Amino acid sequence: MSLLSFAQWVQSTDFFTAIRSSWNIYPIIMATHLAGIALFGGMILAVDLRLLGIAMPKRPVADVVGQLRGLKHLGLTIVVTCGVLMLGSKAEEYYYNAFFRAKMAILALIVIHALVFRPSVYSRVAEFDQAARIPGRAKLAAALSLVLWISMVIAGRGIGYIEPPLDKIHAQGGAPSAASDVVAGALAAQVAPDFKR
Amino acid sequence: MFLAAVNPLNSSELIFPTLEVIHIVGFAVLVGTIAIVDFRLLNLGMRRQAVAEVASDLAPWTLVGLAMVLLSGPLMFSSDPDMYYLNRSFQVKMVLLLLAIIFQYTIHRKATKSEGPPLRHKLVACISMALWVGVVFGGIFIAFI
Repeated sequence: MSLLSFAQWVQSTDFFTAIRSSWNIYPIIMATHLAGIALFGGMILAVDLRLLGIAMPKRPVADVVGQLRGLKHLGLTIVVTCGVLMLGSKAEEYYYNAFFRAKMAILALIVIHALVFRPSVYSRVAEFDQAARIPGRAKLAAALSLVLWISMVIAGRGIGYIEPPLDKIHAQGGAPSAASDVVAGALAAQVAPDFKR
Repeated sequence: MFLAAVNPLNSSELIFPTLEVIHIVGFAVLVGTIAIVDFRLLNLGMRRQAVAEVASDLAPWTLVGLAMVLLSGPLMFSSDPDMYYLNRSFQVKMVLLLLAIIFQYTIHRKATKSEGPPLRHKLVACISMALWVGVVFGGIFIAFI
């Protein structure tokens, strides 16, 4: 089963069809996604800015990082859950969407970032407080985190500007053999006229 | 209509999405820093610091976020004022935004400066988060109604 046919199957299930068919469930999920970013995204920025020594400089790094970790995980759970619900309900559209692909690539980089810097930075913040200085690798981790998360916002917002021409793609015979040709064609035709959405 | 016709914002396809990204990052800073204080008021985060410490540490960053949304928001509005003005979701959003800002700089600020009964702190935190979540919902639904 190809990824495309899997995407088509996922969105054809009763559950995701119901989300897609309702006028307000999809926007409610999207608004919850954004509300999660509002409530918890700022915590990521706060931790990064603390590591850079810019925000909350009077508070121990260990206090800021340690006391926000649980809330950040709660926020991530809410935001990812909403993201998966949106993805499932329009899986085929997302499959062709270049910004969605970019967003998933950035998400992969964020996972790598966590794997690389958790042992060397985030688990060792108490040492930074004892030494009373923040090492360069911690500042690098914070700066990269800021860049990656802001890139996530850019790619996420970009998704709404692209409307893959599914009608045309389907007219060419459903799941095409040369998927790359279709993607290239879709990209060429991807100019959303209503760029408010 | 006149404004939209000559507005330089409409001359480039990239300006509006750039404003949107500034708006989103701005409200993450604005609401996120307020939410940290709210979670502190709820006793769910930053418990090793006093409420007043958390609030005063983050107040400048809340203002940074507020500046980002209040600069990008009106610019986006100016790209199509008639649409926004008549949009019911936008109208609701503006009312909630006004209430949220007033609440933030009156009752919320007062609560962070006083010890007060815990129940009052918790109520203030819940109202604060509800108002800001309402603003976000109002913003998203502009595009869907």
